[in-house]
Amino acid sequence: MKIGNRAFLFGSAMSAVILCGAGQAAFAKDEVMGDFSGVTLKAKFIGGNQYEPLYARITDWEKATGGKVEIISKKSHFEIDKEIKSDIAAGSTDWCVGYNHVSFAPQYTNLYTDLTPYIPQDTLDKYNPSFIEAATINGELQMLPRAQFDVSALYYRKSLYADPKNQKAFKEKYGYALTPPDTFDQFKDQAIFFADPPNFYGTQYAGKEEAVVGRFYELLVADGGQMFDKDWKPTFNSESGQQALQWFVDLYKAKAVPPGVLSYVWDDLGSGFASGSVALDLDWPGWASYFNDPKQSKVAGDVGVIVQPKGSSGKRTGWSGMHGFSMTKDCGDKKAAASLIWFLTNHDSQLFEAQKGPLPTRTKVWDDLIAQVKESGDTYRGEVLTAFQEASKHAFAVPKFPEWVESTNLIYPELQAAIVGDKTVKEALDDAAERVGDMMADYGY
Amino acid sequence: MKRKFLSPPVLLLLPAMIIIAAVVLVPLLLSLYTSFTPFKLTRPDTLYRWIGVRNYMRLFEDYYFWAAFLRTFVVLTIALNVEMLLGLGLAVLVNKAVSGQRALRTIMMFPMMFSPILVGFQFKFMFNDTVGLVNNALQSMGMERVIPWLVDEHLALFSILTAEIWSSTSVFAILILAGLMAIPRDPLEAARVDGCTPWQTFRHITLPYLMPFMFIAMTIRSLDIARAYDIVQIMTAGGPARRTELLWTMISRSGYVDANMGLANAMAYISILLSIFFTFYFFRKLMAARRYMGGAQ
Amino acid sequence: MMVSHGTRKIYLKWCRWIGTFLAMSAICIPGLWIVLSSFRPNVEILAKPAVWIPQDLNFDHYAAIFSSDPGQGAVPVWSYFQNSLIIATTSTLIALLIGMAGGYAFARYSFKGKDTMFLGFMLSRTVPGIALSLPLFMVYARLGIIDTDFGMILIYVALNLPFTIWLIDGFFRQVPQELNQAAQIDGCTPWQAFWLVEFPLAKSGIASAGIFAFLTSWNEFALASQLTRSTASKTLPVGLLDFTSEFTINWGGMCALAVIMIVPALLLTFIVQKHLVAGLTFGGVKG
Repeated sequence: MKIGNRAFLFGSAMSAVILCGAGQAAFAKDEVMGDFSGVTLKAKFIGGNQYEPLYARITDWEKATGGKVEIISKKSHFEIDKEIKSDIAAGSTDWCVGYNHVSFAPQYTNLYTDLTPYIPQDTLDKYNPSFIEAATINGELQMLPRAQFDVSALYYRKSLYADPKNQKAFKEKYGYALTPPDTFDQFKDQAIFFADPPNFYGTQYAGKEEAVVGRFYELLVADGGQMFDKDWKPTFNSESGQQALQWFVDLYKAKAVPPGVLSYVWDDLGSGFASGSVALDLDWPGWASYFNDPKQSKVAGDVGVIVQPKGSSGKRTGWSGMHGFSMTKDCGDKKAAASLIWFLTNHDSQLFEAQKGPLPTRTKVWDDLIAQVKESGDTYRGEVLTAFQEASKHAFAVPKFPEWVESTNLIYPELQAAIVGDKTVKEALDDAAERVGDMMADYGY
Repeated sequence: MKRKFLSPPVLLLLPAMIIIAAVVLVPLLLSLYTSFTPFKLTRPDTLYRWIGVRNYMRLFEDYYFWAAFLRTFVVLTIALNVEMLLGLGLAVLVNKAVSGQRALRTIMMFPMMFSPILVGFQFKFMFNDTVGLVNNALQSMGMERVIPWLVDEHLALFSILTAEIWSSTSVFAILILAGLMAIPRDPLEAARVDGCTPWQTFRHITLPYLMPFMFIAMTIRSLDIARAYDIVQIMTAGGPARRTELLWTMISRSGYVDANMGLANAMAYISILLSIFFTFYFFRKLMAARRYMGGAQ
Repeated sequence: MMVSHGTRKIYLKWCRWIGTFLAMSAICIPGLWIVLSSFRPNVEILAKPAVWIPQDLNFDHYAAIFSSDPGQGAVPVWSYFQNSLIIATTSTLIALLIGMAGGYAFARYSFKGKDTMFLGFMLSRTVPGIALSLPLFMVYARLGIIDTDFGMILIYVALNLPFTIWLIDGFFRQVPQELNQAAQIDGCTPWQAFWLVEFPLAKSGIASAGIFAFLTSWNEFALASQLTRSTASKTLPVGLLDFTSEFTINWGGMCALAVIMIVPALLLTFIVQKHLVAGLTFGGVKG
């Protein structure tokens, strides 16, 4: 704690020196600008329709600073991860500003530099502290988050809940009123209640790769468990872990989810809900406007959104992800790079991006956004934002160690084995814990 | 007579040799080397740590690796044989068609226009159990249940094979059609005069002529069937519960996602053995069939 | 049971007709579904219960692709198209040229280690892309040819060479060697004999090798996704992923880009058909 503090003070002092050196007296202000005429920054960003509108703002930065940005790479999430790892391996790191994501960040620490010396404390204060904490690895601020924050909230079909027939039948069967679920147990009851295979399902979950492990992790924590203990020993095969996994197994056995869920990733979930064949969908903010667009979705006009359910420990938890921008250690124009990173994540940029749907990470942007939406009278959007703002309060990032993704690749086949019934819940989790334990031992944890 | 430094065939082959050496051989040696290191992408310094055959030893003990190996072998065998049979059938049908040959031939090649990655997405959506084309069609014909195409133990491999076979049968068909059209008329006429049944003619005259074409197609497909990786990766990524895990999905996951490139390359080298087996087998067949066709040996 | 010869013939003809129809349907339907999807809004493509008769056909997905706002689904399709075209065409031409030299050598000459070399070429194609992709990335990064057309052309030439060489080898084998000798006796140089006599006969065969090479390059994804990264060299298959984000997918948009990708390939195949036919039937020369 103490060491951290000292390092931090040192960082602030450094930033003061640097910014003053650049003729910027106002280092305490939430601003990192300057004259960067003649500087060309090479950048690698995530591509795709959801992420690219922001890059239009780069022109504004170029105008304001005289610098130039050359985007040398734009690829999808997993492709750019592959490229960045290849770059680290090949030593081809002669570019400046790059993509980062909290799930990948621990693997990139050799590549990206600590941003603390370049970003004023005032800027950091504008974020919810937990976001800055999530972006900090080994005491180094690895990235500055943009307005692409992901946490799940629960989408549901309003008409199903408003239907008196459903209300009555549900009350009789389960003994409590039918309202959108507040706990995962209620979630399960209702999903089973609504399911009418093969035409209609209670819910869906992504059943493979990091997706299923992440969701399992979310339930595990909500049920009072933890993935690892302090010494990085796997503890997810605890009672809570078994309880969490049982939730997936029960839904599958009761046919409340489509039998194909094990092959689903996120796109299948959203497509399913939009097709009108699913009642409840614990899903990401990226779908919000898609679901309510009559050209894309059959359920448009019938979508409600609430905060994610509680686990048995009474906690709500949100496994979350954050996109951000980082600066390479080899970058030759660090001040300019820091300025660009700041610019793409500043208040105006976040508001610009969040207006198109994604969630911001700056506190004030949330407030401004909600005020704007209230004014516009868009009730659906208002409901979405309220739900996700609430959901984001319970957000946590994945464990900060470089082998996280690798460990999910060991865990998910075991979770799947339990879901399809090849193994019992306990066997599956014990096997997974053993494999992850072996892997961690291999890496010297 | 003056002896030239380079004989004509070597001179003619030189450009091909240079390019293949540069693009395939050099990278191959580099990755051979990394298979003897604990090379992790995110820690470049691990490239210089020699650990001998430890990666290979680990793989020899890895049950899942050998399961994937065996599965890949089975999938390859099934895919290649089914593709060849269907391709043969298709070629014969198209060859017999009296009118519209040109259109039929273009249609026959239609799947070749589809990039494997697109085929992956396409069949993933078609086989989706709730909104997919296949289940929707079956349900509107009165089926009461949902078939989890991409999840069920056998159906998952079946679905992948369907996608792969759909996308690649054309290659066989077009090459075999080429063979069919190149068959000289005389032996066929002679056979008819001698009173052979159509089946005997096909079996003893047509088929031997087609053999080289079939083996060329076989060899070519066995070589680049690894392109099926795109399809499998998109459709199931080896899941669920490793039911469709093939060598390629396993290698790319451990190489790029887990960043364990050293281990992944060791796997790749063992998997090359599999390809060499297939290639060598078909190559010998091809050579034998060639002798039948004539030309320089 | 006696079936008259004529009845049987008609019966067979019908079988063949139905067989052809079924086979062609199996080939077309999955593909046409993509084409159809590209004209339908997502709500209809992925509806449950299914909407079999399209209610709303439009060009919205295409309009979105060609619009200028990436938020609306715009994709730099022109540069992808251009890159794909340049890379696929150039690499095919080079592969054909080099492949012709190599194929001719294999078809016409006997030399030491011929079979080994032939096998070696083939085996070069068996190497899984993954074993190549990282080393290639490292070498390319050193040379500074990542994300260039040149880099991709080089790879595709190497990728297509083995295939091209075998095919062309096979086609030259079918051209009687005596023709060349006769031409030389008539006073042609070996070079002239090749271009004036042998090449025209094998021309169509070479064209079909060209189609294969073109389609491979046009559709390749794995290596392109690793070695291209911006509009400077990204090809259409890589561009398909623009329609996916971490959690979402725009299936209709992807289908529209797929159609943009398929149509030129289909046109080319249709045009080259003529040569394909000629090339495939010239075996009659020999028989």
